[in-house]
Amino acid sequence: MAHARVGDSILDLALATGARSLFVVGTGKNVGKTVAMRAVYDAALARGIAPGLSSIGRDGEAVDAGDSGSKPRLFLRPGTIVATARDVLPSTPASEVVELSRLRTAAGTLAYARVRSGAYYELVGPPTASGMREVVETLLRHASYAMVDGAVDRVAALAGGGDAIVVATGAAAHATPDDALQEARALVARLTIRRYDGSDEVVRVDGALGAAAAAEFIRVRERRVILVRDATQVVLSGRSALTALERLRIRCEQELRVVAVTVSSAGRDGWFEPRSFVQEVARATGLPSFDVYTAERAS
Amino acid sequence: MKVRSLLDELSARALDAPWLLSALGPVSPYGERVFDTCVPFRPGEEVPAATRARRVAGIAEKLLPAALDAARETMRSVPDAGTAIARASMGDALSDANLLELLRYVDACLRLDTLTGDVPELDRVANEAVRAVLGTLERGRAGGFGFYLDDAFAADLAAARASLAQMQAEYDAVRGRSVAAAAQALGREISGTEFIVMREDLRGSLPAGVRVVREAPTYVLCEIDADDASLAALDRRERAAAEVAAAEAGVRTALSDVVRTHAAALDASMQAFGTNDVLVAAARFAQQYRCVVADVVARPVVSFEEGVYVPLARELEREGRSFTPIALQLEDSAVLTGPNMGGKSVALRTCGFIALCAALGVPVPAARATVGLFGEIVWLGAGTEGEGGLLSSFAREVVRLRDVMNRGRTPALALLDEFARTTTPREGRAIVVAVLASLREAGAIAFAATHLSGVAEGAGVRHFAVRGLRGIPERPATDDLHAALQTLAASMDYTIEEVREGQERSSDAIALASLLGLDSRVVEAAYRELRNPATWTP
Repeated sequence: MAHARVGDSILDLALATGARSLFVVGTGKNVGKTVAMRAVYDAALARGIAPGLSSIGRDGEAVDAGDSGSKPRLFLRPGTIVATARDVLPSTPASEVVELSRLRTAAGTLAYARVRSGAYYELVGPPTASGMREVVETLLRHASYAMVDGAVDRVAALAGGGDAIVVATGAAAHATPDDALQEARALVARLTIRRYDGSDEVVRVDGALGAAAAAEFIRVRERRVILVRDATQVVLSGRSALTALERLRIRCEQELRVVAVTVSSAGRDGWFEPRSFVQEVARATGLPSFDVYTAERAS
Repeated sequence: MKVRSLLDELSARALDAPWLLSALGPVSPYGERVFDTCVPFRPGEEVPAATRARRVAGIAEKLLPAALDAARETMRSVPDAGTAIARASMGDALSDANLLELLRYVDACLRLDTLTGDVPELDRVANEAVRAVLGTLERGRAGGFGFYLDDAFAADLAAARASLAQMQAEYDAVRGRSVAAAAQALGREISGTEFIVMREDLRGSLPAGVRVVREAPTYVLCEIDADDASLAALDRRERAAAEVAAAEAGVRTALSDVVRTHAAALDASMQAFGTNDVLVAAARFAQQYRCVVADVVARPVVSFEEGVYVPLARELEREGRSFTPIALQLEDSAVLTGPNMGGKSVALRTCGFIALCAALGVPVPAARATVGLFGEIVWLGAGTEGEGGLLSSFAREVVRLRDVMNRGRTPALALLDEFARTTTPREGRAIVVAVLASLREAGAIAFAATHLSGVAEGAGVRHFAVRGLRGIPERPATDDLHAALQTLAASMDYTIEEVREGQERSSDAIALASLLGLDSRVVEAAYRELRNPATWTP
């Protein structure tokens, strides 16, 4: 177990993929997505990279709009670009409003703003996958690197983006470390489905591969490669995802780039033993894993 | 645009009115507001209807397609500043996003006036209020398309912001020292607000300045405590932030006051902007489909040369085929007969479409046209299936006809497409004759396409017919439907001409069935049956 500069390490892994955008997706609510993104954000700023930030859904508010619990806040520095609902932009200190969008969010229409003076910001992005792709594209017109705080398992927005992906998991969303491990392993396995190499006979699935279709393939002992457009089309989670991925030869046309897992051992109502948890996550997913609270890395 | 006063839903669908309204649709929120209030011109409003159509045609004539597209693009990309102006007029302070909307709007006004400067049919939208707002907001222009409450707006703003930046830097430095000291003592990075220290790593107690948030058996969740120096720096920063907030609020209030002062004139500008958007959309339609200004007259008439039913023409064009324009002079009720697939329904639709365009005050798709304004345009008969629940096709037609007669919106243009086709020919003919007479008596023009014999004579109205096939076309070698339709189109003479009394016309139905690939044995049997005088009933 080694201490690490978590934000720097994840940023290095993300930049190594050549992607200009990073999505943090989680296995549940309050698993440390915002904390992970903030660490990478700080690292990017320290390197002089102008970051652009948004969120699928709502992040950065002082309390969780869903359950009234306290949330990590986002203090953003000058030069940062945000894509957020215009009605939640802080009125003071003023931001430079660089663009107005007709995209809708849960808190009204979206605006792009450049932070001129440091302040706390709330990020409320569009809930749709296509809307988020548009946001990332627009952010990259104004910033050199885009980061998106994902909502719970909203992986559809990853389709066709070529982003680097960080998976977050933690004690807040799961009753036991085993549950959290299984969900993290399933999500990573799903997002890292290998590209079809063209060598075997395929059954092409147009659209989503859900539980019913996967069960039918298993029932008929399908041996051909089951080809989906990308991993976001596999709409399975937890044990059913792991079973389907073990028993079927699921491949995709476009691979996604999952670079790391972050863990948050401290939940609001429970906790996991941090060191063993991050080690188990690294072992189960085969990815560099970071505890954003202990600043430790396991590989 | 609300057309329900002129067309019921089924008639609107039969005449592709939704497509027409979409083609005439504006692109800006200002245009949408104006378009939403538009209604068709009513009988008696012939002069304003023709005036508007001439205005549209004038725009289409003076602006090249590229200029029209550029004007549309300018209008499409402009945000809606209506709410901002309304809020300012209520005395609210506008947000920076509102101020950007206004800036983008006044920019669009100037650009639109530049693009359309040579077109007297379009009102200027950049009035004095627009220029005043532009002059006021110009200092906030940032990066070409953005807005920032710039230091130049107020003398105290720059100083307040500089002070805040300095206080923030001081707080960051003080806080940073505390974090660095704790990180050094713990031998690790501290990046977030909260962090975990493992008990097994602790030698003695936590470093000074580190506060426990929560304890767990193997670790403690901590945060950096705010010491006196941090709290003092934070207090100074908060006071500086309050000064910035006050200065910014003052600027926003002053800018909002300027908008409030000019609210009425800005509202007039937005109205003109919306009207121009609607007119430009109509001009684009007129240009695209080579429309002309109809002579709009105060009597029920639909008369045109080279009339085109645009929705079908577009569909044919997509398939590599072309629409054959038609001519018609409908000054009273009339009957239209002719072969299957000879364009009877299309002729009715063309009449309705041209009458609809005239009622909307736009040029019509024809080379020449004289059109009256109608109280109602109604489509009865084929093409309105699928509605009416448990009613039969015949019952649905009768119920709709009853409703039209009860509404009594005169004069009506009634387009009857094979009305009463689902009952016996004898009674069907009797009904159509009676309906034509009744509608005529009520001042309507009824135009009835039918295969029933003797309707025109019975009703005492003019009889038009589609000329039909020039000969029996060769059946294509394969069952390719597309090739059959091409052959049919090449063989069909779609000309509509008046039929003298006693002239009989063939429906060409058996020849068409053969062309469309019906088994040749069936076709032969049909011809034999047709020639058998013993079974023929007039």
